[in-house]
Amino acid sequence: MDFLVSSFAAALRLIGSFSPDVVDAVRTSLFVSAGATVFAALLGIPVGLLVGLSDFPLKRLVVTILNTLMAVPTVVVGLLGYGFLSRQGPLGVLGLLFTPTAIVIGGTLLAAPIVANYALASARGADPRIVPTALTLGAGRLRAVGTLVGEIRFGILAAVIAGFGRVVAEVGVAMMLGGNIRGYTRTMTTAIALETSKGEFSFGMALGIVLMTIALIVNLFLSFLQRR
Amino acid sequence: MTELYRLRSVTKRYGSNVAVDIDALTIDSGRLYTLTGANGAGKSTLLGILSFLLPPTTGELFYAGERIDWKSDSLMRCRRKVTLLHQSPYLFGGTVFRNVAYGLKARGIAGEATLRAVDRALETVGLEGFRDRDARELSGGEAQRAALARALALDPEVLLLDEPLANIDRETAVLLERVIASLPSRGTTVVMTTHDPDHPARLSGGSIVLDGGKVAPPRDPVPA
Repeated sequence: MDFLVSSFAAALRLIGSFSPDVVDAVRTSLFVSAGATVFAALLGIPVGLLVGLSDFPLKRLVVTILNTLMAVPTVVVGLLGYGFLSRQGPLGVLGLLFTPTAIVIGGTLLAAPIVANYALASARGADPRIVPTALTLGAGRLRAVGTLVGEIRFGILAAVIAGFGRVVAEVGVAMMLGGNIRGYTRTMTTAIALETSKGEFSFGMALGIVLMTIALIVNLFLSFLQRR
Repeated sequence: MTELYRLRSVTKRYGSNVAVDIDALTIDSGRLYTLTGANGAGKSTLLGILSFLLPPTTGELFYAGERIDWKSDSLMRCRRKVTLLHQSPYLFGGTVFRNVAYGLKARGIAGEATLRAVDRALETVGLEGFRDRDARELSGGEAQRAALARALALDPEVLLLDEPLANIDRETAVLLERVIASLPSRGTTVVMTTHDPDHPARLSGGSIVLDGGKVAPPRDPVPA
């Protein structure tokens, strides 16, 4: 027990002293997570709305695939990404492996299905009177859909936040595509894995506290939005 | 009176269920029609067709002499002449102003003209001073009035009302009925569904009765 208490105290000191390694990992994590979330939103929101608002053959299959993609393990995405981005892979010439960009790409693939599913659920749960009301007031189809998106904006925002939560907390993609390079691609999660294995438990715990705090803030915000 | 709508052999089916099956029906401009019939008689479906939101399964619909092509761009032009007020109207999030100005904005009208139109419409339904109120915080009667104001602000050729006087207090109902009854004098054609047997006689307009999706002969008004 003493070990945990002393590690916790040391972790708080590390956070309080703005240890450069802690700050670097936090900054990299937030940067790649924000980047991946933006691209996942650009990809996932239109897909979710399109599937949620339209009827087409095989829609159920598409929904099932989107649901399944949410559950894909991060290491599998990392593995696929590695296959594409490694020197022998089809995108190897781009030289993206072990760069923050590679983590952003992997994070986008991880978060996009989550964003799409949340957006889809929001679109399905939208009041069915919104579009007919907009149309009868003279809106075109595009404006009517825009109005619907505006009406379910909190659901859409929740989708984006859920996507961010997924990316910021994952370790597989960041480790396999980022390479855990200190000061460059080392994120909070990969730093925790590495430092703990080296016996630097208090350092891992410091990052764990920061990560938990971010996760807590994200989830509090998500709960707040879902109540609206 | 000139003929505004003409329906010819119009049907609307949902699977095997025939919601509307009308051989012939004409609606003249500048008149107020009550549309009556039992629940499930096809009243809301007919309003959906007349508002150009719901294409019929078969048949032809003419508006002001023009045959409606449900797949053409001209549908939007016709749709903008007609406004449907649903039985339980949806108010968009935001202020009453945003709601009432919505259709004007969709038509590219902005600025002072919008302000004037919104204020006039709100005044007509007795909601002066409600412009900046949160639409979601209105009472049922106020919401119904705001929705009517939203339709009136557009000064439509046709106003289709799906039971506008149901589920509101008597005072609001009297006010709305007075507003609705005055619309034909402004040149607006009104088609209003109702379950009130007194409305056809009291509103002194035309009467359309639906029975099982078909147009039935008008019933005699119930004696007071």
